[in-house]
Amino acid sequence: MSKAARPSLRLGQQDLKCRTGCGFYGTPQNDGLCSMCFRDVRCVQRKLKQKTDETGPGSSSTSQIAAGSLERRSPQHGHGHGHQVKKPEQDTPGTLQKKKFTAVLQKTLQAGAQKITQQRGHVPDPTEGQFLLQLRQLRIPDDGKRKLKLEIQRLDSEIWKYMNGNGGKNINELSDLVQNAYTKVSDIVHNDPSFEIATNEDRDSAIDFFEKVVMTQNHKFLFSPYFTTDEDSDVKVQKRIRQLSWITAKHLDCSIDEVNSEARDLVYNAISELVGIDSYYSPQEKLQCTWRCCRHIFELLKRATGGPASADDFLPALIFVVLKANPVRLHSNINFVTRFTNASRVMSGESGYYFTNLCSAIAFIEYLNGESLGISGEEFDALMSGQQPYSSPWESALLGCESLHLISENMKRMEMLQKKNALISSEITSFEKKLIDFQREVTERVDTVIAKAPLNLLPIKTPAFLIGQARAHLHNENEAGHYQANMLSGGTLTTQSLTDVVGSVKPAMASEDSGLSLKDTSMGSMGRLSPLHQNLQPAEHLFASPIFNYTAFDAVSLLEEPSSEGNTDVLMLGSEFQGGLTNINYDFDLSDQSGENSTADESKLNLDEFDPLAQTDSITQPPSVLDSTTDSLIDSEVPGTAVLLPSPLKPEVASYRGFSNFDIPSISCNTGDFSSLGQEGTEAPK
Amino acid sequence: MSARRTRSGPTLNFKAVLLGEGCVGKTSLVLRYMEDRFNAQHLSTLQASFVTRKVALEDGRRAQLNIWDTAGQERFHALGPIYYRGSDGALLVYDITDQDSFQKVKSWVRELRQMRGTEIALIIVGNKTDLEEHRAVAYEEALQYARTVGAQYVETSAKENEGVAELFELLTHLMLEQLSQREPDASPLRLQNPDTDALSNSEDSELPDPGDPAGQRSCCGI
Repeated sequence: MSKAARPSLRLGQQDLKCRTGCGFYGTPQNDGLCSMCFRDVRCVQRKLKQKTDETGPGSSSTSQIAAGSLERRSPQHGHGHGHQVKKPEQDTPGTLQKKKFTAVLQKTLQAGAQKITQQRGHVPDPTEGQFLLQLRQLRIPDDGKRKLKLEIQRLDSEIWKYMNGNGGKNINELSDLVQNAYTKVSDIVHNDPSFEIATNEDRDSAIDFFEKVVMTQNHKFLFSPYFTTDEDSDVKVQKRIRQLSWITAKHLDCSIDEVNSEARDLVYNAISELVGIDSYYSPQEKLQCTWRCCRHIFELLKRATGGPASADDFLPALIFVVLKANPVRLHSNINFVTRFTNASRVMSGESGYYFTNLCSAIAFIEYLNGESLGISGEEFDALMSGQQPYSSPWESALLGCESLHLISENMKRMEMLQKKNALISSEITSFEKKLIDFQREVTERVDTVIAKAPLNLLPIKTPAFLIGQARAHLHNENEAGHYQANMLSGGTLTTQSLTDVVGSVKPAMASEDSGLSLKDTSMGSMGRLSPLHQNLQPAEHLFASPIFNYTAFDAVSLLEEPSSEGNTDVLMLGSEFQGGLTNINYDFDLSDQSGENSTADESKLNLDEFDPLAQTDSITQPPSVLDSTTDSLIDSEVPGTAVLLPSPLKPEVASYRGFSNFDIPSISCNTGDFSSLGQEGTEAPK
Repeated sequence: MSARRTRSGPTLNFKAVLLGEGCVGKTSLVLRYMEDRFNAQHLSTLQASFVTRKVALEDGRRAQLNIWDTAGQERFHALGPIYYRGSDGALLVYDITDQDSFQKVKSWVRELRQMRGTEIALIIVGNKTDLEEHRAVAYEEALQYARTVGAQYVETSAKENEGVAELFELLTHLMLEQLSQREPDASPLRLQNPDTDALSNSEDSELPDPGDPAGQRSCCGI
């Protein structure tokens, strides 16, 4: 670095100046001309063009001018490229490490620039409806609105055409295209008769609106287009700022108090605004953002200096903020605004002033050297390369104090958090306790309720009249009655139910202890379950037993009835009878559930009850078998009975089929039926 | 000018930059100018680096005067072009007790003339006339220099509020004159007043002396 040879910032920049020698800085985009000279050149060209073809004077010639200038510019355009290529070699001495970056980055980035730009194209377009609404809200005549809309569409399509055209693209042509449109719109708004009645403010807002709509909608085309070097500049300046991270407010001689937390907050506000510039689409909004950023800085300076700040204070502060913010796409944003905002906006007004300051701050950052920071060139180089960490005793002491302050603040915060944490954990334990208590309480309550109201299963009481009814019914349909059919359908069940019935009925009749009787029935039902599965026997066997039982039972009951139960109503009808039976059946079901804890003792009783029945059925066989005291034995008995009576069954099958309609309802009746009958059956032996 | 503008045209927009070394009183001048007009209320404002004022012109029109302060430190000297690009006038302020600041003004003038030619109105301002006893730059010397470069010369005292209002009046007047001399659409910055009378573009390096004695008149320090 030959900064010692070129100590002054100004002297080092001679190579960068405008080709015409006007003294301003030229830019590669302007063919090495400064913006003013470039504009002048373009103006002259445009006039010539206009004179030569007198076709489209005035408003409608914008596109023609653009086209014309495109033709005329082509040789110069080529020259511009040559200039661009030469540039990095020329400006080596003055611009620090710029050359390295340009050499490397231009190669790498230009290839990817187009892709990046396209990726960036996914800018969510603000809804056109919103703009239409705003257009409607503009306080200008409808005629003017229509014209404004037309102009917007025209510029839109022109930009689109330019971007999609095949010709070589120059950002300045595009910029001129837009600026011409602004001029035209401004002309329309101020001179067109349709805007006659509008006030000046309304006219301005109409122009603003025009700019905002077009810029927002074309942001994706116009922001950092792939044919510019904006991307490179962005990366360059970002790297540069990163290298300059060691710069403090003191270097810049600015009155920002870095160790004051209040000032720091304002700096942060300014920084966030500056960074936010990138997130807006229209130049106006970007300028607004800049404006807010600078406002924060002035607020800061006012507190520091105690009065309205002058530019002497402001610029260093702004530079400081830019350095600390290192905003993304800085050059792209700046260029976007300078190219495509209404030129008058940047050149006048407060936001224009701030924007200019921002530009100069960036320029300063790009070209600053040791001298401009008040340090020697060697020191600057050392700091830039990171070999020498910057530290002054006083500064580091202040910063150290600040760090200590921060540490203590953080410790306070940690303490607070710790307390909160402890509180939370204690709350958790108490909550857990509560949960356990609640659980205990609930179980206790449930227990007391259970204790208060135990499940008492009452003995089954079969109304006496039912027995009589059953008997009467049986009597009525003795030969081929539906009871037989029921029994057939019931199959194996009937035999079991019979035993149940026998077991249950006997105690009731004998008016014994209720619990005992309950258990009896339950025992029977229990026993019923297992035989049921075992007794999936051929139908013939199944048929045999019920009929056998039935007939025998029936005979017994009929015989015994008048003696024991004289009061029963013999002439009950079948339907009523069935209803009564279902009730009884239900009782039995209940007993089923409770009967699981029945004991073997009762089974004996059960069997005892069964004895008479069996005896009545077939007097010779059952006693020996039944004495072996299990329900299953009853089952084993069944085949025996079946064997005994093979012949009467077969006609019964036929009769059963005839009654098949009643099958399903009769199943339940069947069991119940026999319970009532069983009562009688049991009764009979006694 | 044209009747249409007088009726409903946009207000004229003037931009003037304040150039000069640090501590010569640029900001004080601006503050004094605003304060004088607004009765000290301006001190409550946030900043003094950019001020804008509406002024009534002799012909009944109104103009908006934007005054851009610039950082005077030497390190920011190179940034000058960014500021005075597109400006209509420049106030070159120096401290009459400081010869160096006068030399600085000379360099500014050279730069401005080189870059902007005659399309910018220049006023050289010798400030701090309240410190007459410490004067280092003679009035005649400064006036002579101003004449050779086609600039006006004014001496003021921001502290005593002497010549400040006159200074800005003169500035407005000069800028208006500049405007009428310039070709209407020489610069897109003139968008607000597109129908300026198209006079022949005078490319002379020297300002045509308007014969306005304002420059001399407002040298009130002496």
